Amino acid sequence: MGPLIPNGILTNEWNIIIAVLIGLAFGFILEASGFSSSRKLAGVFYGYDFAVLKVFFTAAVVSVIGLYYMDYLGWVDISMLYVHPTYLWAAIIGGAIMGVGFVAGGFCPGTSLCAVAIGKLDAWVYVFGIMVGVFIFSEAYGVFEGLYNGSFLGNITLVDSFDIPANYIIFGVTLIALVAFFVSDIVRKRIKKVFY
Amino acid sequence: MINRNLAKILANRYIILASLLLIAALGLLLLPAYQKNERVTAEDLLAKVVNPERYVTSDDLAHKIITKDPSILLIDLRDEKEYAEYSLTGALNIPFDAILNADYEAYLNQGQYDIVLFSNDDFKADQAWLILTRMDYENLHVLQGGIKGWYNTILNPPEPTENMAKEAFELYDFRKAAAMYFGVGIKQHNQVEQQDMTPKKVVIPIVKKKKRKPEGGC
Repeated sequence: MGPLIPNGILTNEWNIIIAVLIGLAFGFILEASGFSSSRKLAGVFYGYDFAVLKVFFTAAVVSVIGLYYMDYLGWVDISMLYVHPTYLWAAIIGGAIMGVGFVAGGFCPGTSLCAVAIGKLDAWVYVFGIMVGVFIFSEAYGVFEGLYNGSFLGNITLVDSFDIPANYIIFGVTLIALVAFFVSDIVRKRIKKVFY
Repeated sequence: MINRNLAKILANRYIILASLLLIAALGLLLLPAYQKNERVTAEDLLAKVVNPERYVTSDDLAHKIITKDPSILLIDLRDEKEYAEYSLTGALNIPFDAILNADYEAYLNQGQYDIVLFSNDDFKADQAWLILTRMDYENLHVLQGGIKGWYNTILNPPEPTENMAKEAFELYDFRKAAAMYFGVGIKQHNQVEQQDMTPKKVVIPIVKKKKRKPEGGC
């Protein structure tokens, strides 16, 4: 049956409508879980709040388990889903830069927009910084081009790189997630409580 | 009033949720594996099976063979012995049991020719068509009626009765001519000619001119 749009159950025009609806819901949940506060987000690095880790890890694990059950039942064809292409070194370096920005600024790009929406000044500065970064990257594209397009590995997943069945990888990732949750809980209890 | 039992359970809610997640992931691991056919979905296959477009009538096929249509590839699914006895002009012999043989894949899995499968009747050819369609091969057709149908329509067509439409007679003429092309009826024709060829004593009577009777009078 699924995915709905490539299989012609919904027309292409629905793409943008569904995207807007999911985006609204995503923004609402982010704000409702307090993710538009940079103190909460930064908490994961200082060890007094692990909500970010728990929320995003849970979301990933729940959706991958759900998708594979739906694939098993024939509701969704996993092989038809979009897999983001991997540019290995671009991803590593970009990830490192984003991590530094995350610690320093206290937002990730999505939550910064969320915080802009509720009127946080630091978020305005953060988004302005993103724009400056985008501008520098675009103007100096020639310098970054080799890195940007290099070490292209195709649309691969862990299943392709490790050549292990998806079920085992999902089980492993779930275990990692649960261990991370328990460890983060222990860490949080040992750290002095921060009022924010 | 606070429900103490509920509160006791909810105190462990993260443990419960975490174990639910673990059970779900474990369930995925323990699901019995099944082989998915990723080429053709059941809906597509059913739509193709129901669709009679795959059938080629023997008249169409005869026309194509006679006009030497280069786009058709005839596949005879009968065994070699039957193939040696009689087959259609230019047909290739791929016995039914060997259609999935790697040697023949290049013939069957291609997008250039219109493949016409035939056997003694529809059934074997239809089965082969289904197997090959399931392999997602293209341009597959089945000769309606198979060799028997070919014999009954092209080689030995039923004569139309007097009360039939004009088209029936035209079709009959076409089939007769086609049969002639495929070498049937020529023998008979020769016999007739041979009979004609036997020298006969032809008596050419010399008609003597009769004397004209005087016409009229002056």
